[in-house]
Amino acid sequence: MKRIIFDLLKYNNEFRIGVFLILIVVTMAGLSFFSPYPPNDVFVVPPDAPPSADYWLGTTSRGQDVFWQLSIAIRNTLAFGLLVALLSRVISIVVGLSSGYLGGWVDRVLMAINDTFIVIPLFPILILFYFVLRDSMSTILLALIMSSLGWAYDSRLIRSVAMSLKTREFTGTSVFSGMTIFEILRREHLPYVLPIIFSTTLNNMNWSIGLEVTLAVLGFMDINTPTIGGMIYWANQHTAIVAGIWWWVTFPVITVVATFVGLYLIAVSINEYIDPRSRLSRMGGGQS
Amino acid sequence: MTTQPILRVDHLKAHFRSSYFGVYREVPAVDDISFDVAPNEIFGLAGESSSGKTTLMKTIAGLIAPPLELIGGKAQFSFMPPETNLYGADPAQLARIRWSKLSYIMQGSMNVLNPLRQIRSIFRDFAAVHIGGSNSDFETKTVNHLSRLRLDPSVLDAYPHELSGGMRQRVTIALATICRPDFIIADEPTTALDVIVQKEVLGMIRSIQREMGSSVLFVTHDMGVHAALTDKLGIMYAGCLVEAGRTADIFNAPQHPYTRHLIHSLPRIGDTVQRTGLTGTPPNLANPPSGCRFHPRCPLASDICRTERPMMRQIATEHRVACHAVAGDDA
Amino acid sequence: MPAYFNFAIKRLWQFVLVVFIGINIAYVITHVTPIDPVEQSISAVTSFGNTSPEAIADMRRSLQELYGLKGDWIEQYISFWRRILQADFGPSLSAFPAPVTSLIARALPWTFGLLAFTTLVSWSVGNLLGALAGYYRNNRSLKFFGVLAMALHPVPYYIVALSLMIVFGFIWPVLPITGGSAMDVQQGWNWQFVASVFHHSVLPALSLIMIGIGSWFLGMRSLVSNIITEDYVVYAEIGGVAQSRMMGSYIIRNALAPQVTGLAMSLGGIFNGAVITEKIFGYPGLGSLLVDGVYAGDYGLVLGVTSIAIIGVSLSVLVIDLIYPLIDPRVQVAS
Repeated sequence: MKRIIFDLLKYNNEFRIGVFLILIVVTMAGLSFFSPYPPNDVFVVPPDAPPSADYWLGTTSRGQDVFWQLSIAIRNTLAFGLLVALLSRVISIVVGLSSGYLGGWVDRVLMAINDTFIVIPLFPILILFYFVLRDSMSTILLALIMSSLGWAYDSRLIRSVAMSLKTREFTGTSVFSGMTIFEILRREHLPYVLPIIFSTTLNNMNWSIGLEVTLAVLGFMDINTPTIGGMIYWANQHTAIVAGIWWWVTFPVITVVATFVGLYLIAVSINEYIDPRSRLSRMGGGQS
Repeated sequence: MTTQPILRVDHLKAHFRSSYFGVYREVPAVDDISFDVAPNEIFGLAGESSSGKTTLMKTIAGLIAPPLELIGGKAQFSFMPPETNLYGADPAQLARIRWSKLSYIMQGSMNVLNPLRQIRSIFRDFAAVHIGGSNSDFETKTVNHLSRLRLDPSVLDAYPHELSGGMRQRVTIALATICRPDFIIADEPTTALDVIVQKEVLGMIRSIQREMGSSVLFVTHDMGVHAALTDKLGIMYAGCLVEAGRTADIFNAPQHPYTRHLIHSLPRIGDTVQRTGLTGTPPNLANPPSGCRFHPRCPLASDICRTERPMMRQIATEHRVACHAVAGDDA
Repeated sequence: MPAYFNFAIKRLWQFVLVVFIGINIAYVITHVTPIDPVEQSISAVTSFGNTSPEAIADMRRSLQELYGLKGDWIEQYISFWRRILQADFGPSLSAFPAPVTSLIARALPWTFGLLAFTTLVSWSVGNLLGALAGYYRNNRSLKFFGVLAMALHPVPYYIVALSLMIVFGFIWPVLPITGGSAMDVQQGWNWQFVASVFHHSVLPALSLIMIGIGSWFLGMRSLVSNIITEDYVVYAEIGGVAQSRMMGSYIIRNALAPQVTGLAMSLGGIFNGAVITEKIFGYPGLGSLLVDGVYAGDYGLVLGVTSIAIIGVSLSVLVIDLIYPLIDPRVQVAS
């Protein structure tokens, strides 16, 4: 695994850029622990100051330093995305692997449920949640809800990998040669399943962060946990763009876009590395 | 008086070159091969898997795409302007000769037909531009061709997945011959078929060839098929041509140690002698042996075999061998 | 043909099931709330001014039925469904006493028009460009477009919409950034109105298309680069099949099937994007209606739009599923 990462870093442009972007974002998030201002305090610095040596990214109309606020916001946003991704991994993996390996009626029932969740538009459902829960909706609760709704797409992918592994000849050979099911899963199949789990995790993070930002911008958010979406929401409330306080909006947007693009590039380059046919087309030809 | 060969392969070299993630590999899959195919002749190419047969076919047919690269030599057809390869030829010219002069029966013809198109449409895609005429004319010609090959014309209405494997193979052969090409490359056309269908397919190929007078370059590892079908035979080993000549000569008097082993390993009815296999395995072409590629497994190997690669030498009429021992080279 | 009929029936049942489950989810959500939604909604409305006591009682009654708070839980459930099946979501609180159904009916054409147009454009253009990019791998402009698509694809709808609004609303104000049509133009089938609608939909459509095209482009490009290694494509090249025929019938046609499936699967996400885009540009569609309904505490409206969204998306998926076997003759519709 380490060798793969080093190879990708050395030779794959997209991977390099992705890692670079993510490192910047994670560093910013890490810096949040050194923030001199408590995250929810307002009017700790003079408001509406443009970027300068004192306030690197300027200050907001609520009297907060944009840089430090941003670092906390991106930390919370990243943590949120990670939480949703990990929780929904559990459901996706269980559903996907059971469906793929067991087949039969288990597969049919699980996929019927799965497809229902794919088709139902989640955004209105989430808005409905906010509507009824209003102020008691914390970010963690949102993460729980999103992970219990957003596993469907990925479980299909995992299921198709499991199905193809089940029918591969080397699986039959392993069974006949006396390996236990557990050994087969661990030694033969895991190397195929891990990469898809990894890339779906990254894509899921993008999805959940995107959804959170969108909800927060509309005002459906937890006031006590500053996130990127929250920053943009407050900026809109204070009509920052019109008032010319562009730094309040621009920097959160840049940071979150860097996160999205970074995660996406990493996921794409890993996917490409796994698939031998895409390696071939990278070399310039497809006909072997 | 020798007629001009329809295909002249002259010192053809094609290598696989790949550079990916810092690893550079060069595989000499087609390494300095020369032979001629006369008009109205079936030329067979024999050899084990990964001897380079299919890559040779692709190179001759001009299907050279990265990581495969043409390093040197020529493969010239008499119906092309002199001194032009198929590879890199003018696209308009290529469009004219493809299928009408040169056609190809691919290995594993299970999937060469577009699964979303009817057989009739596939025939139109390939041949209508060469045969011309109105739609109904073309339909008539196609039906005639199919009946000549004893295929039911109803097959035109089917989709590929509705036909059996053997049926698809026969349809592919009909497709490859409908424009009456001068040259047909057949790459393992009977490998995945059972013996009964195999016999029919071979019969089809032979009768078509006789009727049209085309030349066929027939690739297969099955020596029995070569014996039954081909006029001339070439033996390939590890990307090189080691022996070539009339099929009867090669079977009756094989010269190269590899060929001798191949021929003697064929079972004959009534023969009770136990067969022995060659020691070792075919070489990894990414790192081929020095000198003669066969020397690690050859009972006649000597010092010169380990250092110098043997060239094809004529030892009888229309019989060439690439071997130091046969040619009488001393260490 | 009978096999297809069976298949269609099965898919129809699945559609009904999905809608049923979806609306049930909405019902369940409203019942985990600890607050009394009826009183909350009523206090929100009555704070606006004088409403007659009869109207308030009427509202309370219909809200209670809609919330399913009358009687024990079975009666609640049944009366809830009875109303839903009659497409009666009660009066809208924010636009009292206009029934929710009429508000939805007014907003639906806007959303449908925007979504249908942008989805069609991004799907077809994205797929076409992606197929070309997958086949002509060395074309500079296609490669450049690919980089652009990769950069845009992961960005959420909101940010693209916001950026477009900033660029065209503030920096270079040539396009309208709010509303479905100009305020002073009369609605109806006259040229001025149609032109104004068109003018106002440029920005929302553009943001939806910019992201959509990227996704289809990337997916198609990778599909096509796999397809060109398939035996039948290689064979067609050997056979000298005409370039246009090859692109159309051998490559694009074979890559279409997964893209159609992909379209069905992404319709839910496309609707999500439309909601936020409409809100930002003040486009008078279901999206704006939904968000404004939430702000105003208008339960009937929110439930109504959610249900319509579920039904609409499921219906589109159903249509696509029914079309699919006609595209791919290999699909065995007999179970």
